[in-house]
Amino acid sequence: MFQNNLLAAAPWALSTDSPWLLGVFGVVGLLLVLLVVIGKVPLSYNLLNLRVRWVTSLMTAGAFVLVIGLQTSMLAFVNGMYAMTDSTGEPGNVLIMSEGSTDETFSNLGFADATDLETQDGVMKSADGKAMVSRETYLNIVQTIPDHLPGRPKRRFLQVRGLDVPTMSALVHNMKLVHGSEWFTDAGVREIGKTGETAIEVVLGDGIARDLGADRKPDDLKTAKNRTRLDVGDTFDVGGRLWIITGVMESSGSLYDSEIWTKQSQIGSLFGKPNYTTFVLRADPNFRKEQREEFLATRIRKAEEAYEKAIAERKLDPALPKPVKELVKRPTSDDAWGAELLRDFFANEYTKARLSPQVETTFYSAMTATNQQFLIAILVLCFIMSLGGVFGVMNTMFAAISQRTRDIGVMRLLGYKRWQILVSFMFESIALAILGGMLGCALGSLADGWTASSVISGGPGGGKFIVLRLTVDFSTIALGMLLSIIMGFLGGLIPSVSAMRLTPLQALQ
Amino acid sequence: MKYAFLIFENIRRNLIRTILTGLCTMVMVVVVTLVFTVLSALDRATTEKQKNLKAIVTEKWQIPSMMPYSYATALSEGGAAADDPNAARPEDSMSWGFFVGSTEENPAKRSFENLFFAFIMEPEKARTMLDEVDTLTDDEAQPLLAAIQRMKDVPNGVIVGQERLDKMKKRVGDRITVFGRNYRDMDLELEIVGTFPREPARYADSSVISRDYFNRQLDAYQRSHQNKPHPMAEKTLGLVWLRLKDRKSFSKVSEQILTSPSFTSPPVKIETSSTGIGGFLEAWRDIIWGMRWLMAPACLLTLSLVISNAISISVRERQLEFAVMKVLGFRPTQILVLVLTEALLIGAVSGFVSAAMTYAGINGMGGLPFRIAFFPKFAVPLEALWWGPAMGAITAFAGSVVPAWRARTVKVSDVFARVT
Repeated sequence: MFQNNLLAAAPWALSTDSPWLLGVFGVVGLLLVLLVVIGKVPLSYNLLNLRVRWVTSLMTAGAFVLVIGLQTSMLAFVNGMYAMTDSTGEPGNVLIMSEGSTDETFSNLGFADATDLETQDGVMKSADGKAMVSRETYLNIVQTIPDHLPGRPKRRFLQVRGLDVPTMSALVHNMKLVHGSEWFTDAGVREIGKTGETAIEVVLGDGIARDLGADRKPDDLKTAKNRTRLDVGDTFDVGGRLWIITGVMESSGSLYDSEIWTKQSQIGSLFGKPNYTTFVLRADPNFRKEQREEFLATRIRKAEEAYEKAIAERKLDPALPKPVKELVKRPTSDDAWGAELLRDFFANEYTKARLSPQVETTFYSAMTATNQQFLIAILVLCFIMSLGGVFGVMNTMFAAISQRTRDIGVMRLLGYKRWQILVSFMFESIALAILGGMLGCALGSLADGWTASSVISGGPGGGKFIVLRLTVDFSTIALGMLLSIIMGFLGGLIPSVSAMRLTPLQALQ
Repeated sequence: MKYAFLIFENIRRNLIRTILTGLCTMVMVVVVTLVFTVLSALDRATTEKQKNLKAIVTEKWQIPSMMPYSYATALSEGGAAADDPNAARPEDSMSWGFFVGSTEENPAKRSFENLFFAFIMEPEKARTMLDEVDTLTDDEAQPLLAAIQRMKDVPNGVIVGQERLDKMKKRVGDRITVFGRNYRDMDLELEIVGTFPREPARYADSSVISRDYFNRQLDAYQRSHQNKPHPMAEKTLGLVWLRLKDRKSFSKVSEQILTSPSFTSPPVKIETSSTGIGGFLEAWRDIIWGMRWLMAPACLLTLSLVISNAISISVRERQLEFAVMKVLGFRPTQILVLVLTEALLIGAVSGFVSAAMTYAGINGMGGLPFRIAFFPKFAVPLEALWWGPAMGAITAFAGSVVPAWRARTVKVSDVFARVT
């Protein structure tokens, strides 16, 4: 379950069942147990010293708490971004944009294209026999907030998705409304009040409903139907028009939580974008079922050929980037098989329009350029800050050793071996690190569930403005504890070695 | 003098502790300097100017802004009627369109390495209107000036930032074919005529192509498509920059543009560049907040803790020494100052060294590569050279106040009682 988030995204592709991660924790745990049991290391002596020098111990652990707490909360942010990109999209869906488009904003598809696409064999039919195709126009709209609350934005970029048939789109995207909600009408607009004023009907994602809801004034909140988010019947201004909420979608943890869905005909004319940008098709899971193995073999062969070709080209021109072999994954469900085969059909056989088809899950999971940038920046900062933590522990341990030189001499005279002295002080350092790490992880965990705005993209020239939920999970805690233990180990190593090298005579002088 | 000697002697006495505390200060100052580098650049970009300010005109509701190019001329005049002598007019202007494409023909092979992003604009405006380029001296802007001059002879010329040139593995004089992404079916044959100056680093990944050349390509598209214009032909103007004398002039030009019937379909908005950039950065609001109010304070607090710990240990070890000093006639305040000065000295010197190394290192590699909005890189400002020692000194002071106070209040009788 953790495969698809931060750990899997990290440069070293760590996961909960990664032998690397399990190995590190296993070795550390085993070493500690073995040393304590077999080595007869005087741990009570070390623990007593930590308690006696409680101010120093607490301050050292405090530095760990801050470093690890900050790291945990920062990773929770990136984790939230990865969780969002990974959980967006249905495995059986194919997303189609105009040829060459890598972002919905720049895609441009005609009405005629939609009609023809819907008649293709591989497109699944709904229970009432209609082609499961969602026709969409995606727009980024600027919302200005003239009398914004302190600390709240003056301006927001709203992601608006214009749809033809909302119930079909909801079926294709597997989105559901919360209780008491309804989809917008065919007209997409309704009269409000008795003045004849009209408002555009919209359905909000859970995230954007919360974000917009936070803009309300205290007086408005007193009479609000829902204090945590905007709800059915609430209104807001965008594009010089009033928008009325007819429904709120259940939180799906996907990018759609940050979107506003409304009638395509309303926003197309309002914002001068009459064409579609995207078609999302649900593939028939049985589409070309007999050709699955052949399709997979062809893809693997093509990937190998491309790799061989790239290697040959690089031999001629060493300045070319190192070739990376495309990893062809075997689809794991009938839905995924259907989507892959339908995408292949539109990419290689369909000739009536030039399209850019992608499996929906692949499209969204590729929007990780910003995630990666943040992840790398955070890891670099954490590394630098950890160095500071290492120096701090080292300072503390050197002081501890210099204060207890005589103790070391006595212990050596009592028969303790050099390595036992080493382990004894290492234990002290790692114990401080584990304590600080645990408290740091607990501090960072307070960020779990916070919402924050951000941007995700698959590279320059596009992107989506999202409202994400910070997620502290096993991956963030594991990384926090791992870093903490490494800091404690490195920080304690040199002082412990210096303690180990002391002869009883030197120590007692 | 003896007092100063004593301070240096104390710092030198436990060299390992001094070095470790200094190293810790240095790494924490690196982090905070990097954070401040990003924040200060964003703050500078969003600080309102009173004079010689720039305004941006964009489409009112949509992002990315896509206006018809027919708006450009009138907007460049600040929306002023040609025959109105009382109208306010900008001192200079620049129009931008955006061309996004790839040097790779095969869509499946397109990547960041072969991405091509260009401003469609009047080339000579790159010198007079681009932020931070407009403040360069002619000597500093020489590569750009030469490229602009060359573009007059080479209509399909392109000015490419050095970093993008490196990524594309191209040099000035090379020819490239760019396959359009936002302008479908528009492939441009371009000749690289020059590059941007190394500083400012923000244009290292950008390019400039001529508006005239681009418009001719749109015409060519129409001719080759049964006189059907390109689907994006009426949306080629992204934004118009106006240089205005002062805020009064800005208000007047705003009024002219917003009340003009020429800019209603689509409607436009005008704002100062700082407001516009600030508005765009709202999407990164929480990240910037986290950097400013979580990351930087946490680093400084950690640093304070580590210094406090080191000084506390030092004070505990030197209790006897402080007692002897008191017996020798040193006043408590002198002991307090002694301990504080030791900490301040370590903090300030380490902070300065760290900031200087960060300044040289990061700027040496062309800036901090952390893309936020349209800022691809951030150069460490010269002010970092005082941020470093200031951060080091302040955190050292905060961390050493309590231990120094303990040193000040050492009781001679207690210490000697323990010794005997």
